[in-house]
Amino acid sequence: MFGFSRSNQNRAQFEALLTPWLDPLYASAVRLTRNERNAEDLVQDTVMRAWRFFEKFEKGTNFRAWIFKILTNTFINSYRRNTRERSLQDESERQSVEARFFSAELTEQTQNPEEFLLNRVMSQDVLVAIDTLSIDFRMVVILADLQEFSYKEIAEILDIPVGTVMSRLFRGRKQLQKILLAREGESAETIDLNAFRERKKLA
Amino acid sequence: MNCRDLETQLTPYLDGELIAEARVEFESHLASCPTCPGHVEVERHNLSTLRAAMHEASPAAPAAFRAKLFENIARDSNRQQRLSVGRVAAVAAGVTFAMVAGHHEYRLHQRHLYEQDAAMRHARQFPLEIQQSPDAIERWFGGKLDHPVNVPRFPNATATGARLLQVRDKPAAYIRYDSARPMGLFVFGDDHDLDVGAEAELGSSHGYNVVSWREGDVVYQLVGRDVDEQDIRELLPPAAGETPVTNPRLDVRPASLQQ
Ligand SMILES: [Zn+2]
Repeated sequence: MFGFSRSNQNRAQFEALLTPWLDPLYASAVRLTRNERNAEDLVQDTVMRAWRFFEKFEKGTNFRAWIFKILTNTFINSYRRNTRERSLQDESERQSVEARFFSAELTEQTQNPEEFLLNRVMSQDVLVAIDTLSIDFRMVVILADLQEFSYKEIAEILDIPVGTVMSRLFRGRKQLQKILLAREGESAETIDLNAFRERKKLA
Repeated sequence: MNCRDLETQLTPYLDGELIAEARVEFESHLASCPTCPGHVEVERHNLSTLRAAMHEASPAAPAAFRAKLFENIARDSNRQQRLSVGRVAAVAAGVTFAMVAGHHEYRLHQRHLYEQDAAMRHARQFPLEIQQSPDAIERWFGGKLDHPVNVPRFPNATATGARLLQVRDKPAAYIRYDSARPMGLFVFGDDHDLDVGAEAELGSSHGYNVVSWREGDVVYQLVGRDVDEQDIRELLPPAAGETPVTNPRLDVRPASLQQ
């Protein structure tokens, strides 16, 4: 019967599009929710929502961006429901991108001696560091650095301007680096640029 | 451009998001400045270290969870079917017509989107997952994607490394070639969504040239700076034996260049 075959075909299409992104969705959900049980719930909600709205998905367009948009929306909604933590989108965020680039924070950074992260940053440390980021930074870092979305895709997924994507990415990464460098410092293994180059030569 | 201007553009530069003119300015400052190259090197290193560590720490979705997910979709699908049989038949004719009319432009547009995406991902210089010989690269890809990955051999460039990436929503093999002008090749499965044929076609995006061609259900996109007609001329069809026996040996060059 027509209705049956169409629906089965639809489901086959949906599953074929979905399957390659299940692991990425799950990995992102774990980092967003910081917890595997909540990550399963988030992916489950995301996938069922995507399936119900699948008719609205324009075939042939960017499925990955589409389903990650559902993931982040679902996450933001439940997150805002469960906690009253305000989003970071406050006054300081609205300052122009240019103003940010000349912030004291940045000037300080460029004047400091260059510090390399060790080649083998412990993954566990990275996870802990990401978990300390506020949700707006965390989402952008996960989308850009874990999922390798372009600025434009991230802007569409999160409904924010490209300039804001760049600014959050810049600040989020700086925070991560700071935390990781501090960790390396604790183990007294931080090396400066010259030492790094020496190491490279020796290797 | 001065050092401070460079700093403002460092994030988009490292992400491969600067438009061509801005990148040229950026790089010409880099070439002439005594201090900026060191700084950029540190930032590039830190970014790729961060990314590598994040990838390494990514868990896969547990098998039991996947199974439950697909079960739920199936259950939901059966429920929907009982509700929607009549409605679907009523609108079907109109929808089909609209799809046929828009199909051709749509495919051209799609190809351009894929060229853009391939160029940008190549520009980002993601860390490679394997750096070995072409044979080893082919073995490494075995079973990782839905399609077999053959590493094309080019006369003036050698495949030196590879990783998994995607082009838009398609999981792809990414193979880096070292030569005077480094190139990246994306290989992905495509069920003829894209307007790419067996003859190579030249497009461009983000200051890169992108050469696209197809072998059956597999699309190749070769990205490089200044990849010009001469380079295309030098692209050889895959050696016999690398393509499935059922496929005729394909000449990937534009028709005008074939004897
Ligand atoms: Zn400079």
